[in-house]
Amino acid sequence: MLQTVAAADAPIPGKTPSQIARRALFYGLVTILALVFFVPFVYTISTSFKTIPDSVNVTLIPHPWTTSAWSTVWHNYDFATYFKNSFFLCAVIVSCNIFLGALGGYAFARLHFPGRDLLFLIVLATIMVPDQLRLIPIYVMLVNWHLIGNFSGYILINLVTATNLFFMRQYFLTIPKDFEEAAKLDGAGQFKTFWRVMLPLALPAIGALTILQFQGTWNDFFWPVVLFQGQQHLYTIQLGLANLRFAYSSLWPEIAAGSIIAILPILVIFLALQRFFVSGAVTAGVKG
Amino acid sequence: MRGARLSEAVWGYGFAFVPFAVFGLFFIYPFIYAVYISFFHWGILGKQPGASGTYNYSKVLHDPVFHIALKNIAEYALAVVPLEMALGLSLALIINGKIRGRNFFRSGFYFPSIASSVAITVIILYLFAPHGPFNTFFGFSTDWFGSASTVGWSIVGLNAWTTSGTVMIFYLAALQSIPEDVYEASALDGAGSWRTFWKITFPLLRPAHFFCLVVFGIGALKLFDQSYIVSNGTGGPNYATTTPILYIYRQAFANYDFGVAAAAGVVFLGIILVLTVAQWFTIGRQEAG
Repeated sequence: MLQTVAAADAPIPGKTPSQIARRALFYGLVTILALVFFVPFVYTISTSFKTIPDSVNVTLIPHPWTTSAWSTVWHNYDFATYFKNSFFLCAVIVSCNIFLGALGGYAFARLHFPGRDLLFLIVLATIMVPDQLRLIPIYVMLVNWHLIGNFSGYILINLVTATNLFFMRQYFLTIPKDFEEAAKLDGAGQFKTFWRVMLPLALPAIGALTILQFQGTWNDFFWPVVLFQGQQHLYTIQLGLANLRFAYSSLWPEIAAGSIIAILPILVIFLALQRFFVSGAVTAGVKG
Repeated sequence: MRGARLSEAVWGYGFAFVPFAVFGLFFIYPFIYAVYISFFHWGILGKQPGASGTYNYSKVLHDPVFHIALKNIAEYALAVVPLEMALGLSLALIINGKIRGRNFFRSGFYFPSIASSVAITVIILYLFAPHGPFNTFFGFSTDWFGSASTVGWSIVGLNAWTTSGTVMIFYLAALQSIPEDVYEASALDGAGSWRTFWKITFPLLRPAHFFCLVVFGIGALKLFDQSYIVSNGTGGPNYATTTPILYIYRQAFANYDFGVAAAAGVVFLGIILVLTVAQWFTIGRQEAG
């Protein structure tokens, strides 16, 4: 009983008029908030199925219903290429971050070597510094090395982040040492212990890292603008979408369809693996 | 045993080598290189002969546009951080209460935070276009993202909305770590829910308040995506969307002055570091007191 009284805004089946009023107020507020959060997306989906003349009408049901905006965006405005580019970059960068993050994270969690603490401080400092302030030196370096004009520069600067290394280290610290000791008794070397024993045990952390890094790379706008702007065959989905909106700001159905394409993979992953997002955000943040 | 320890150290260096080569080359060296570039005339063709000394720095520090960029970002951070924290805490309280369809609402509130900022900005730009659905429906004719007087607040509103979901997640974790018996004691004392919130819950959330202040405060200073998309990369109208990062970007890719851009980056990094250290000290003191 006490708990129900205590939980701040718990809507208990109404007893007195004031309680009913409060409950109504609470649900009214929730409804308004829900509208603010859901209406833009629902409306955008509806617009993407409209014709251009119909798109200026403030109606929720397209009339007539058409998928022409989708096919225009996908075929004529090259979203198929951008989508492929984004997927390719995500696959490469996520794989590298898993492997290198785990490798470094394991070294810092388990192996003792001189200077470890100092190096770890450098990792933490790297997390604190804003990534975007690397802009000028990174751009000049990549120009000097002739790595502008293809994907390799973008991949190189994203091979492994300090955040991912830190995240893997924190997870390795929670694994009991018994597993490694057993492996060593069986005569496994350091790399084999890491590869065959520790990495499989770290699968939950790898799952979270995969999702968060995929999201980060898929949504990245800053570095694609800096490195790929003007080279259309290299556009990622986000850069392609931003440029579509600059070029054709009144093609609302096409803009709506393009936006949904840019969001869709993240939405699918989010719905399927929600708890990773939440736990990842909390561990990455709070443990820091 | 000494051999085993030596071999462990060798393996340790071996494992850490590649990640550290990446950090060294692409995270640490660039900051040293940026300082170097900032002391030269550096154009589209690279370094020009002759050192410029502190010329780039004096140019940045006397540039009215850089001042506007700093003023813009200060105003933006002061407006958006309290707003997203208030909104995020409200969402967390709603989710933490016994509401039907809890998971549904939690996902819905969180989703704008993880969806691409480009797509969200593009969607909002079209919904709030001068003749867009919002204005048509509510009978406005304001150019929310196009006029210098409203665009700042419009970006504040947009980002408070998208970021509040992440703030909510942090507050939810904090709320769930408050032991139930604290509330029971308060209920025994006959405190109503409004009073319980202000006297018990809000003060107990202090670590979360400070955490959010630091994380989202520093995060706000890096505003770029929304300003770029709203202004097509120009920082206009009338510099209203020029942020420090966008200023650096434009010095490099519109004015082709990499020396000035690098100097601006060094200055802005200095500002961020001072603010970070100041925040840590304040928080350290607050947590202790």
